[in-house]
Amino acid sequence: MEDIKNIPEEFSFEKEKEIARSFSKRFQWEMILIGVGQATVWLSLWPLVINGYISLFFGSLIATICACFAYLPSHEAQHGNYSRGNPKRRWIDSFVSHFTLITIMFPHDLMRCTHMKHHAYTNNPEKDPDYDTASAKSLWEVITATQVGIKKYESIAEIFKNDNVFMKSFNKGVIIGMMYRVILLTLVVLFPLETLLLWWLPSKFGIIYLSTFFSWYPHYQADIGRYKDTKFWSHWMPRYLNHSMQLHFVHHLHPGIGHYDEPKAIEALKPFLIAREVPGAEDIPERVKYNPLIKR
Amino acid sequence: MDKFNEILTNHISNWNMVWFGLIFWGSVINAIAELYLVNNNSIFCYLFGFLLGVVAKIRGTWLWKI
Repeated sequence: MEDIKNIPEEFSFEKEKEIARSFSKRFQWEMILIGVGQATVWLSLWPLVINGYISLFFGSLIATICACFAYLPSHEAQHGNYSRGNPKRRWIDSFVSHFTLITIMFPHDLMRCTHMKHHAYTNNPEKDPDYDTASAKSLWEVITATQVGIKKYESIAEIFKNDNVFMKSFNKGVIIGMMYRVILLTLVVLFPLETLLLWWLPSKFGIIYLSTFFSWYPHYQADIGRYKDTKFWSHWMPRYLNHSMQLHFVHHLHPGIGHYDEPKAIEALKPFLIAREVPGAEDIPERVKYNPLIKR
Repeated sequence: MDKFNEILTNHISNWNMVWFGLIFWGSVINAIAELYLVNNNSIFCYLFGFLLGVVAKIRGTWLWKI
């Protein structure tokens, strides 16, 4: 924790945590609806397209929208924000994450263990698994970074090879990743254009969207450190179209806050962020609306 | 079993782009050729996909390098 000695008692880390905790209790039903909903819609596209009820190109458009909605419900699950520490509800985390990620062919276990490392080592060039996209100098570099595929994960595994818990989850994810590959290569032989336009291409668009808004914008040119590794940023898009990732800062401070409670949490935490001289904190509106989120 | 897993992992790690080119791009190119060409020869489509995979393996990426 940096510079805590200059922070007034009323803005102490304990008080900040207390406020954050009050936003970390609600059951995230909206995310379950989005995750399960988009995956169900995406699965239903296959019989609809194959049987000619809708055109392949319309199906591809819907699949791309589904792919853009696929990650965030898993992200909540990776942080255990459905079970909230209740072992009897952990199956919800696992089920929602596995199911929603089908659209973008990401294995839940691999995403979870690498995402935890991203939080632990945000912006660390050697240890942050998302550093490749976060440090990209242009959108094109983001796109190329997302296409590296298996090689990126090989180097991550090499870095954390002595972390047994990480490697157990990682290896489980690799097996599921291979299963996705086998299913994709089987489907493409049977339904080539459907596999290309309903799964492969939408998943690519989804991953580029994800890397751009979840990784690049919030972390690009940000520093290392709890109050420095994520930044406020503004964008012409209404925030619902970029999954409110302009609020990603508060997620890195308190990952337990539910995604749809982040606007209220950031309003409540604004004085704490100003006290810590977080760049852009003064510009947080009193009431977070659609856009511009941050008046800059 | 461990030895088998190691061989399989190494093979996938080294040759995944070539297999992907052959099966995935080969199938897609073949499907497109069937739609638009009268005299389509599947072997050439899969060969083209295979070559795409080989080129990607040599270059280390499917995309343009920066």
